[in-house]
Amino acid sequence: MYELILILPAAALIVSIFADVLWMSYLQLAVSVLVFCAVVAIALSFNSITIFLGGFFFVDYINLVILITVSTLELFVAFYSFGYVRTEIAGGISKRKFKFYYFWKNLFVFSMMVSILSNNLGIYWTGLEATTLATALLVSFNRTKESFEATWKYVIMCSVGIAIGLFAIVMLYFTTSQIYGESLKSLSFINIMHAGSKLDKNFLMLAFILALVGFGTKVGFAPMHNWLPDAHSQGPSPVSALLSGVLLNTALLGILRFYQINGAAGIYYPRYFLIGFGFFTILVSAFSIIKQTDYKRLFAFSSMENMGIIALGFGIGGIAVIGSLLQIFFHALNKGLLFLSSGNVLAVTHERKIEKIRNLSKNFPITGLVLLFGVMGISGMPPFAMFLGEIYIMTGVFRSNIILGFLVFILLIFIFIGLFGKILKMYAGNNDNDERADELQSENTAHPFMIYVPLILLLVSSLLLFYIPSQFLNIVKSASYEFGGKIIF
Amino acid sequence: MIMEKIAELFIILILVSVVLNVSSPFIKFAIKLYSFQSLMLAFYILMGAVHFNSINLYGSFVITVIFKVILIPYFLFKTLKKVKIDKEIDMYIGIPEAVVFAGSLTLLSNLIAQKIINTGITFGSFVFTISLATFLIGAMLMVTRKTLFSQIIGFLTIDNAIFLAANSITHGMPLLVELGVLFDLFVSILILSVLILNLRRNVAV
Repeated sequence: MYELILILPAAALIVSIFADVLWMSYLQLAVSVLVFCAVVAIALSFNSITIFLGGFFFVDYINLVILITVSTLELFVAFYSFGYVRTEIAGGISKRKFKFYYFWKNLFVFSMMVSILSNNLGIYWTGLEATTLATALLVSFNRTKESFEATWKYVIMCSVGIAIGLFAIVMLYFTTSQIYGESLKSLSFINIMHAGSKLDKNFLMLAFILALVGFGTKVGFAPMHNWLPDAHSQGPSPVSALLSGVLLNTALLGILRFYQINGAAGIYYPRYFLIGFGFFTILVSAFSIIKQTDYKRLFAFSSMENMGIIALGFGIGGIAVIGSLLQIFFHALNKGLLFLSSGNVLAVTHERKIEKIRNLSKNFPITGLVLLFGVMGISGMPPFAMFLGEIYIMTGVFRSNIILGFLVFILLIFIFIGLFGKILKMYAGNNDNDERADELQSENTAHPFMIYVPLILLLVSSLLLFYIPSQFLNIVKSASYEFGGKIIF
Repeated sequence: MIMEKIAELFIILILVSVVLNVSSPFIKFAIKLYSFQSLMLAFYILMGAVHFNSINLYGSFVITVIFKVILIPYFLFKTLKKVKIDKEIDMYIGIPEAVVFAGSLTLLSNLIAQKIINTGITFGSFVFTISLATFLIGAMLMVTRKTLFSQIIGFLTIDNAIFLAANSITHGMPLLVELGVLFDLFVSILILSVLILNLRRNVAV
């Protein structure tokens, strides 16, 4: 059961080299559904840490939350891709190009699964670097000058960032090898957690800071973020959804692992670094969102903001950790629907600028509505699930420090105004001087899957506010205990 | 004792090659220097392997030579031939200033290493100092030079520094992890080469 999660994407990866694209899109649906079912089965029967494949991989409560997130979003993206491939091929892109699309996408998902499930920090690193490489050629999929430049920035910055993360792992390996000797055992996460307070505290602290800066580059924390909006906005929309929704969480998992190790060793001040980086990220993204002119970049900055909120929640601890864990899942769904529905607009109009797109309500009735409600959801408005995550985090922040709470609250309002004002103009604004373009472009040229998948995601995201499966809630609760989160439901 | 001296010589040669890299604008020379620097790193690992008689380090030596000394420089040369540039012309700070800066970074890393390293590490804090200096100078190469090739060289230098650190404070990472890291590095160089060729078609590199 556990092995299936790794084997299925790997098998799809190999088949995609030989298979025809249209045939491959059916297979991709089957693979994604099977992976999703396997993860659901694991989640339903999960009650303690499970090791598999010779101790190199394991599932605990924290990576199970991220695993559920990845497999759920991947399922929707697979259905969307089914329509996306057909629409783009009908629009004149060669089939050969899309063969590589499935190849790299499966490699991306496979390496992401490897790094999420890995028990060994070295393997986690290898998987994370492999995700950068697998997505590099997806980001430059359109082969324009902008996309190549974005890819260059992405690969160089993330590679250097992750190299600093490797330095952190070396530091950690040095401390743990004094207990377990120099073998793979000293990199095994479970063993490191067992060693706990016996580890050298100075080196652990140094390792955490290096990991925060290194993996933080890939999460998109504020001073190291400038690759993120370019890379996330240049890729094909399904890939953007995966990059924003789940890859950032995979990188965050690395920081959380180091955070956990520090917690186990009795070092508690790393949380101030998480709070600091989280707050600064929200601040920078709030000011960037207000002056954005490109709607995909807008959503990329919004991912950054949400990563900041999640980091802030983990730093605050207590009730906010539950909020952060819920936010990881809900943000992935919500950001997925935003990127997918904006992908429809992009696929039909081939226009990225906000001011060029007006009157979506007429030509894109469903997509436009999904986009509008999605933006409401991503800002944490009540009928959508992210409200729940954000209210927990904000409660935690207000409880711990009321001034910080007000600052974050004001920034969130800024972000809401920035996002909602721009999307509302796209949805309802009138384009007086360009009547001709309105006639030609309509969402009907897109494959029905492209229109309805974001809609279903929106419904799911709304439904989750009212009903969260109790097993998922249990997993989140147990995961939050690892960070000292306590709550009575 | 004599072995430690030889190992220290290799490490000093690594630092020398990095500083030479800072002082030279020629890209072909920089790739050659990188290859040389990796070879010195490999020899250093070999010294450790002989000293501790460890299979792990022998394996590490072999894969370092294969990936860092042969494969990566080979592909970089191949890309360079297609791109047809030979000299770095766009720098944020001039060469003399950069060399002085590199020297001060070495001093700084000595100070840092003294602070955090206590005794009882493989070859003492000396190796750690050099690896930290290499790391910082590699980062400086990346931010002060504009040519894409120089950025790759800077990135590779940073990577070498981390390998050196891994081999100085411990006896190298486990072989499996090291293999994964090197393979990722190799693939990232391939992808960056592809990107350089594609960017060359659109804009000046």
